[in-house]
Formats: sequence, structure tokens, C-alpha cells
Amino acid sequence: MKKAIVYVNQFFGQIGGEDQAGIEPQIHEGQIGPAMQFDKLLDAEVTHTVICGDNYIGSNTEAAIATIIGMLEDKEFDIFLAGPAFQAGRYGVACGTICKAVKEKFGVPVVTSINEENPGAEMFKKDMYILRGGNIASKMRKDVAAMVGVANKLLNGEPVGSAEEEGYFPRGIRRQVWRADLKPASERMIDMLIKKVNGQPFETELPIPKMDRVPIAAPVKDLKTARIALLTTGGIVPVDNPDRIQSASATRWGRYDISSTDALKTGEYKTIHAGFDPAAADADPNVITPVDALKVLEKEGFFGSLHPYFYSTVGTGTTQAEAQRMAQEMVPFLREDHVDACIMVAT
Amino acid sequence: MKLEIGNFYVKDIVFGELLSFSDGVLTINKEEALKFVCEDERITEADLYIAKPGDKIRMCPVKEAIEPRTRLDGRSLFPGYIGDLAQAGDGVTYALKNCSVLVVGKHWGGFQDGVIDMSGEGQKYTYFGQLNNIVLVADTNEDFEKREQQKKNDALRRAGHKLAEFIGACLKELTPEETEVYESEPMIRRGEEVEKLPSVVYVMQPQSQMEAAGYNDLVYGWDTNHMVPTVMNPNEILDGAIISGSFMPVSSKWSTYDFQNCPNIKALYKEHGKTINFLGVIMSNLNVALEEKERAALYVAQIAKTIGADAAVVAEEGYGNPDADFVGCIVALEDAGVKTVGVTNECTGRDGQSQPLVTLDEKCDAIVSCGNVSEMIELPPMETVLGELEALARDGLSGGWANDEILGSSVREDGSIIMENNSMFCGDQVCGWSPKTMKEF
Repeated sequence: MKKAIVYVNQFFGQIGGEDQAGIEPQIHEGQIGPAMQFDKLLDAEVTHTVICGDNYIGSNTEAAIATIIGMLEDKEFDIFLAGPAFQAGRYGVACGTICKAVKEKFGVPVVTSINEENPGAEMFKKDMYILRGGNIASKMRKDVAAMVGVANKLLNGEPVGSAEEEGYFPRGIRRQVWRADLKPASERMIDMLIKKVNGQPFETELPIPKMDRVPIAAPVKDLKTARIALLTTGGIVPVDNPDRIQSASATRWGRYDISSTDALKTGEYKTIHAGFDPAAADADPNVITPVDALKVLEKEGFFGSLHPYFYSTVGTGTTQAEAQRMAQEMVPFLREDHVDACIMVAT
Repeated sequence: MKLEIGNFYVKDIVFGELLSFSDGVLTINKEEALKFVCEDERITEADLYIAKPGDKIRMCPVKEAIEPRTRLDGRSLFPGYIGDLAQAGDGVTYALKNCSVLVVGKHWGGFQDGVIDMSGEGQKYTYFGQLNNIVLVADTNEDFEKREQQKKNDALRRAGHKLAEFIGACLKELTPEETEVYESEPMIRRGEEVEKLPSVVYVMQPQSQMEAAGYNDLVYGWDTNHMVPTVMNPNEILDGAIISGSFMPVSSKWSTYDFQNCPNIKALYKEHGKTINFLGVIMSNLNVALEEKERAALYVAQIAKTIGADAAVVAEEGYGNPDADFVGCIVALEDAGVKTVGVTNECTGRDGQSQPLVTLDEKCDAIVSCGNVSEMIELPPMETVLGELEALARDGLSGGWANDEILGSSVREDGSIIMENNSMFCGDQVCGWSPKTMKEF
């Protein structure tokens, strides 16, 4: 039988109310409070219950985590559950905090339940399964059952359904699914169209997420002294593509020394980008990475100096998350060389 | 315009003496059909296969799908492309239903080619997994693009269109099991009953982003890259005025079969006169330069306003860069007071955590979403492979790779495959078939 460990606060751990909220973490063999109901419903045995005061973990977060991780180090467990926390603010944050730490340290699945008004939900919803919990403790039975629904699937290696189906907060992950009714897109389009045109409420299948806009940088103060770097998502690489950058959906990038060349030569550089007609770029790689023009402008003193490398990856199909990661990997090189501004060439 | 499509439902396909259709069985004389295909001297090798739902067949690299049909007046199925220019959308055509001609490269694939499975877990990923398919597997002497990642696939695609016409000809003297009738009155003469209903246009954004000739979708043989949006009669789309191209990750593609049967158009027709007044199609395109994208959006909004559209549906054949055309077009329509619904797929990454479209706007408040191009798909080996499976890994298919530090090659020695949805042949079915949607996890 698989094993589970449950985390609860001082109140649900049956130690006491607000006056006991300062207690340090303790671990008990067997089930206390909600752990008993978990034990009945789970496809696992709840071997231990961890109890900690909400104020203690709130004010001594690092110490509380370290103590609890220490307590768990010699235990075998397949899943870690915390709560349900309802609308209790400190408890919700505690559940999220400890679940995140346990997941990172032991790599086991974690599940909790927090009410949407509880700040813990917003803080941790992207890190784990947080069921949409009730507001008060009388919803205990329902919230535990919902947590067990997800937990049992994780324990049994079954796929966990969508946020909507299972009742957890969306974790910022969008995946394709086959509709149970297989209703084709054309019919869904008609339903949405007729509702929208008649001013009735309708539900989009792609809610527009909050914009992640990067503010436009301030102008370069003095171009005459500025150090400029050249970057591209146009896939210009040395012909043998030494960094094996993919032609689409790229996860790799490269930087190539241009300190001793006046221009990118045909036959030495090419594009490996699969999202546009490569003819012009292969004939003259400078049309995408204008090393030739920049070298002339540098000599003429139009700007201060050129960073000795250009940076390249492929933009087509490349996800925003990968693009962001690659940029973060490039930035230290640019900082180290005191680059003042970058020219980012798209295609 | 009045288009009548006489339907003949294919239950089985066999090879035999005489090209014929009887009691649901399509018989093809293989030698005769191949001889016809090889009339194009560019075709160097060719063979024909039959692939039906449940068969243990995997096809790769798949390049095109066409519904076999015949026009009773002798007009070409695809005027301006494999026949003389003539008006499409009027008259009578006969069609072999639940049936398509698939074109598969014997060896070489490219960015725009894909995979179809006829059974098992992979069957559901494409529309063609459920059809009775006549599969042309062939190679050509187009050596100039043999090793190119972007292929025009001109000889093979044309062979497919011609073969569909060749096979469809067996229906000429027969009586269809049923007839679909699509009739659209002139927009300004539809009578009070229809005209009081909310008027709707369908805005199509076919793939047209290659500047070089030979890759883009064609309208009456004309490169869709070289046009500004214009009004078309929906019947023209259903009757072969437009053919699919050879560019774009293939799950986003609309095959010629998809155009011939466009479910979004049929759904709008079905509501016409009941809940909406379906005005017609605005044929737009997808562009490379920002100014071209903006110009197309401006034209679409202007036409919609000019013809009095209250609402619009916009569908894009692509993702990534074309999302800018898609979102820009919806925003232009909304700004013009036209209530708009969009149909698209998404690119949320293998982990599902990336922004779904490359550009977003709050005005896109009604979107039908048909899938994630970068979803990872792992499929067991298949008994029979038509084409060359190695192409998925070797030839730069958009959802395949030759080597990956962790995942290895897309094609494993035992014939199992791991790939992105990107290479499922017309898998996202934004033309309207898609039973897939996107959910938050």
C-alpha cells in the first residue's frame, strides 16, 4: 500500500486555537484530525500527521520548513497533502509554502485545498494542485473528497483531468483535449457566434491572459560612446550549425565571434530558420544580421563600439517560455561586456 | 449561385479490372491509374495503396489530401490549376464521400509534410484516419528540392489533384445517394425574412506567406500572396476554386479536401435563413510584412462594413507569425463594429505554459480553439509504413527531429515515433472538423 503524510495547523491538529498558533512543528505517527478522513478515502495509508502553528510558520518560515523537511527525511511517502485550509489566510499560505518545499525536496506529488479568497491560492496555484476549497470548516468533507479525487489519480498514475473537471485552480498550463461529445469546432463556432451577435453571454475557449508587456527601453543617451550588440531570431549560424540550433521550436542558441570580420560571408554563414524563404539570407547573411553595415558605422564613429559576438536562435514555433530562458542566458554575456544597447533582428 | 453536390458513400475500396463505383465499393484499375499518374514525366516511381480505418498503416511524409469528384459539365475540378479557368461554385458535381486521395512521398519529406495513422492511438489525431483513402506513394525528379526543408511538392501534389479527378470520373453516369444543395442569392436580394437576421461573413486566411512561387494556396491558380482580400461566394470554395499549398507546419494546414468540404462554411449555410443571414466569404490571406498584414485587415474590415456584415468569423491557416494577421483582422473588425468570432489553434509549448498566440488583444473575446501544435505525441510501431518514416526525423518535418539529447530521434529503430502535434497531417482542423479544444490544467 502506498503511503501519505498529511500537514495540518494547530487547530485541525487538535492542539488548540489562536493561543497555540505559535507552536513549532511536530510529527505524529498515525492520523489526527482531517488525516483520519484522508486515510479512509485515499488509495494510500496516512502514516504520519505533521502539525505546525500558523503563526510559527508565518514568522519563522525558513526554520519551520527546515524542521519539517528534517522530520520527513527518514520517512517513506508517495504523496504529501496539506489542509484543507478554507479561508484561513495564514493556514492557506502555510499549506502552499510547505507543499512547495516538500515537492522540491522530495519530488513527490503534493495536493492542497484553499478558498479563492485566501491569498495562499493566488500565491501558490502555479506550483501545485490547489483544489478550490470552501470558505468555512463545515465544507471539510467535500474539500477532503475533492483533494482525494486528484490525489488518488496521482497515486495510481492516472491522468488528472482539467482544472475545470477536477476543481483545482488553473496552473497556467494549457493542453489540447478531445471533447467528450466530440462536438466539432464548426458547431462550437456557430453557438458562440449566435450568442455573441444576439448579445447573450458566451464562453470563449481562449481566455486572453493578462498581458506580459515589456516596457520600451529608454533611448541610448550617447550613441557615440555606446557599445552595441547584435541579436537575431533569424537563425543565422556558421554553415555547420555548431550549436545544433533547431530549425523550428528552438531551445538552443549560439553566439559567434565577429570581431575580426567586416561582414558575414556567403558560404560561411547561412540561415537554418524553417519559417521563411531562406534564399535571400543564404545569399547574403548580412540582410538578417547586418554585420557589414554595423562595421562601417563603427569605423565612421556613428556609434561607440560593437560587441564582438552576435547571438542567434530561431524564432519560428519557439515558445515564449523558451525564448525568455534563452534571453536570460544571453544577458550575462552582454552585461559582462558592458553592452549599452542591443539590435534585435527579427524576420 | 447554386451548387449541387451529389454524394456517393464509399464503404470499401478494391483494386480490379475496371474503374467503377457500385454498391458502395470503389474499384480502381491500379495499372491504368498509375499509368495516368506517370504521364507527368517528373514522376519517377509511383505505387497505389488502399488505407482504411482500422488498417495497421502509418503514412509519412503525407503531402496533400483531395476528395475525388467529377463535374458533370466536364469542367476541371480545380479550374486554373489542373484545368482551364472557369467559374466554380455553380452547377453539379459528384463526390466520393468518406474517401480521399492522399499523396505520400516515397522517400523525401519536408517542413510542411505530415503523419497519418489509420488505427491505434494515433488514428484520432487526423481527420483522414477515419476515411477510406487511396494512397499515391511516389517520387519525382525534382532534385533541386530533394534536400530542401521547404518543398513545393509540385509534381506530387498535382498528381494527387489529377488522380482525384481521374477516379471521380467513374461517377459520371450514376445517380447519387443524396444531393446537397448550396444556393446563395445575391446579398442585396434575399427578402425581408432573411435580411432581418444578423448578417455574417466568413473571413478565410489561407496560407500565403512564401514570397517565392509554388508554395502558397492558390485561388483559381493565382498565388494568394499576390492578392488583397476580396469577396467570394462560399460555393466557389466548396467547388475547387482554392487548393492547398505546401508551406506551414502541417497540423495547421488546410488540405484541398478541407477546402472542398469546409465545415465552417457548411455550418454557416445550415444556419442561413434560420438564425443568420450568411452573406458570403471574404477571402483574405496571411502575410509577411507588417504593412501587408495591416493592409489585409483594413480591406477585410472595409468589405465587411460595405456589405453590411453585423458579425464575422475569422479562421487562420497557420500559427506563430500568422497569429498577428489573425488577431489584427479580428481587432480591425471589432473596431469597425463587427462582432467577431475567431477559430484557431494555439502554441502553448510542450509544457503548455507559453502564451497561446504570439500576439493577443482583449478584443478577441470569442475564440474557438482547436489544439496545441506543440503537444508531444508518442506512438508505438505500426505494422505497415507507406512512404519513408525516417523522413519525420531526417527531413526537417516541423514536428520531428533527428536527434535530441534527452528524447533521441523522432523515429526509433523499432518504428515507434515521438513527435510534436505540429506534424500531424492537417491535425488541428481549424477549418471546422476539430473535436479538440484547449483546457486549463
